[in-house]
Amino acid sequence: MHSLYEIETVVKRVARYQGLSWGIAEEAGKTVRALEQSALPGLERFDRLISFPYSKCVREINHKEKNQKYLCPIHFGLFFLDQSHKPDNQLTFQFSNILEPLLIIPFLIKAAQKNLISFDFKSNEFKFFIGSGKIISLDTNKIPHQSNDITLEISNQRIKQYSDETWDRLYNMSLETFVEENEEKKLLGAGAGLTDND
Amino acid sequence: MQIELRKPEFVMRLDRLGSFHQSKLSFLRSFIREFKDWEFETKELELDENGFGHCVYVVTKDNKQYSLVCFSNELADSERSDRVIATKWDASFVLFDGIPSDQDINRLKANVPLQEQGRVTEKELCLSRANKSVRVFEHVVDRLAQGKQPDTDILYNVGYLYRTTAVYGSGKFGLADRIKIQDRGELKGPFRLEMMLVFLARQFTFDMVNHVAHQRSPQNAVKLNDDIARNLGIGNSTGLGMAPFIVNHPALLNQWIISKEKALLAIRSIPNTSQREKEKFQSYLSTIKENIKFWKTDSEYQIKKNLHLTNDLEKFQNYFGKLDIEKFFWNTVYEWAEINTQAECCELIVSLLMEVYPEIVEPLSYEMSIDEEDYFDFDTSRSIGDVCALIEKRYAWLVEIDFEKKDNIYNFWYYSKNKQEPRMSDRFSEDGAERELPLAIARDINKLYLELKNYPKKDPLSSYLIKNQEYRHILRRIFICEKLPYSEIQDNTISKSLIPVDMLRLKLSFFGATRFDPRSDRWVRITMYQGAPLMKEIHQSDDTWSYKKIA
Repeated sequence: MHSLYEIETVVKRVARYQGLSWGIAEEAGKTVRALEQSALPGLERFDRLISFPYSKCVREINHKEKNQKYLCPIHFGLFFLDQSHKPDNQLTFQFSNILEPLLIIPFLIKAAQKNLISFDFKSNEFKFFIGSGKIISLDTNKIPHQSNDITLEISNQRIKQYSDETWDRLYNMSLETFVEENEEKKLLGAGAGLTDND
Repeated sequence: MQIELRKPEFVMRLDRLGSFHQSKLSFLRSFIREFKDWEFETKELELDENGFGHCVYVVTKDNKQYSLVCFSNELADSERSDRVIATKWDASFVLFDGIPSDQDINRLKANVPLQEQGRVTEKELCLSRANKSVRVFEHVVDRLAQGKQPDTDILYNVGYLYRTTAVYGSGKFGLADRIKIQDRGELKGPFRLEMMLVFLARQFTFDMVNHVAHQRSPQNAVKLNDDIARNLGIGNSTGLGMAPFIVNHPALLNQWIISKEKALLAIRSIPNTSQREKEKFQSYLSTIKENIKFWKTDSEYQIKKNLHLTNDLEKFQNYFGKLDIEKFFWNTVYEWAEINTQAECCELIVSLLMEVYPEIVEPLSYEMSIDEEDYFDFDTSRSIGDVCALIEKRYAWLVEIDFEKKDNIYNFWYYSKNKQEPRMSDRFSEDGAERELPLAIARDINKLYLELKNYPKKDPLSSYLIKNQEYRHILRRIFICEKLPYSEIQDNTISKSLIPVDMLRLKLSFFGATRFDPRSDRWVRITMYQGAPLMKEIHQSDDTWSYKKIA
């Protein structure tokens, strides 16, 4: 399994390779890291997003336009992170379609906590509610007065949420942000000789 | 008397940052202070007659344990390179969280010698490698095998038996993420684990020469004398890979610098100085003047700096020797040094001042870490006028730079595909500038500033961000610099006149490195822990070892 640092770095570089600015690439890296740390399949979903292909995703969010399709979840999440300080936020927004909605969650959590607001996300396939506190969302109608036959498992082991193939694909893509060096450049770039038997 | 912190526009220039010296705040010294009451033990020394095999060193307190596992392998001379581009080393090291089982040792044996090409797990904390200083290693083993101690002239001209290259931590190559260990009390200072690894690796170098000498001549061999060993450190070769760190971690850089500046301010603000304190400073000054003679380098750049330092120290000694103690004595001394000596000498005097007042300086070493995540997000409700004013206040030095001029955008930073390390090249004659890393801070802030000037001042930043995200990474650091004014190097890191070793020197001085020996403008050798207590003496350390005479 890879460290969270490796996951964040690879996602940042892949996002950059996909044409995102460095600032957004950094946000993408943090988002996927946060999901993986929470045992959610952030890396797999990120891989699916860029395989859509990413060039077809809509990156400019227009919250007044109902029929926007194939919205990029990173830009969608950032839009609400950046814009939700505005006082006119007691609104309902509607969008036609968003890709890989899992990826918007870390952004909305930050936006909710920063601005003391809540997000109630409803779609045909997926619903969640994010408040400004630190408690995870529960279905309040189903909270019992007693629990029986309880199992509580505690682990300090992260659970791998992605396949080796996904990692290899993304890792190789991340190398596309690197510069190939010829022998001369290797020497110039680092600035010294190759052996040191002194 | 109201004395103020030195201003960021004075401190954060690269020629000054590149003149910093080790001090009481340096990480290898704070590591020894923190761990001096831990137990250090050589647990395994499984080496063959040539010194190939593995060793384990264990550091323990209560129920906490860390282990350094060292692997020593055969290496042909033709394969010995102390640059990061190497693929084989004389020795490789991994710091393990706890005590490794035999199964762990076998797993590590298959991976640690490979370094970047191997995989480690979250049980491991740091990874490193080192090569012998061939001329010194052979001399020492040869003499010890003959029952004699080595020639200290040869030894101290180099200063170490092995040189490390990279020391990796924080999640690289599968190592444990920093989040796993950051709340441990003993690790509440930057690079504690890296410093532990290097300290234990130094002990390995002594055990290695003793072992090989004994194997060569069991009847005659003697052990390396403790006084000689103590004056040997461990070398390090550092290239450009280290430079981007201080640009990529602005909040952390601020903590390092502000701690030093707070220490200096507190000392300059002392109204009454005793004769004993003056004498203490004088004794450190005299020692360092002697020890500088061992700072060997072929670099014209560093030779010149060392020469200025020696001359300035002489000038300073004349001044200081005649100076009577008066109110705010250290402030008078510092102000004289700032005006009359170059940065190399002035910053050494700052480090020496800190030696006199451990009670002021040592607590500040606990303020040198920071949770960088707290500074990742920024306030998009701030007005564009606010952001422009912030740039004018904190980045006045770059607003007037003409980034259309070739010399001001001469270099670009990139990641080498071959070694996965940051490098720098000339953008006008080398390929790859389209894959430039976001390290052109001055240029990008300047561009952002010019762009923001076209937007209504009263609009919130969020309005600008709806359609403009190109400079998001830059906005993040501008807001960091607002809160943490020592977070930004105030020089253009892509200009033709950039001297990258200054960036390396800044970081290495905080590590506690000495004997800066640049091998080019982008690669430097240094020594760590020279004069430090040996592993078996660490609990006796009073943190004055940095200013003991080498010979």
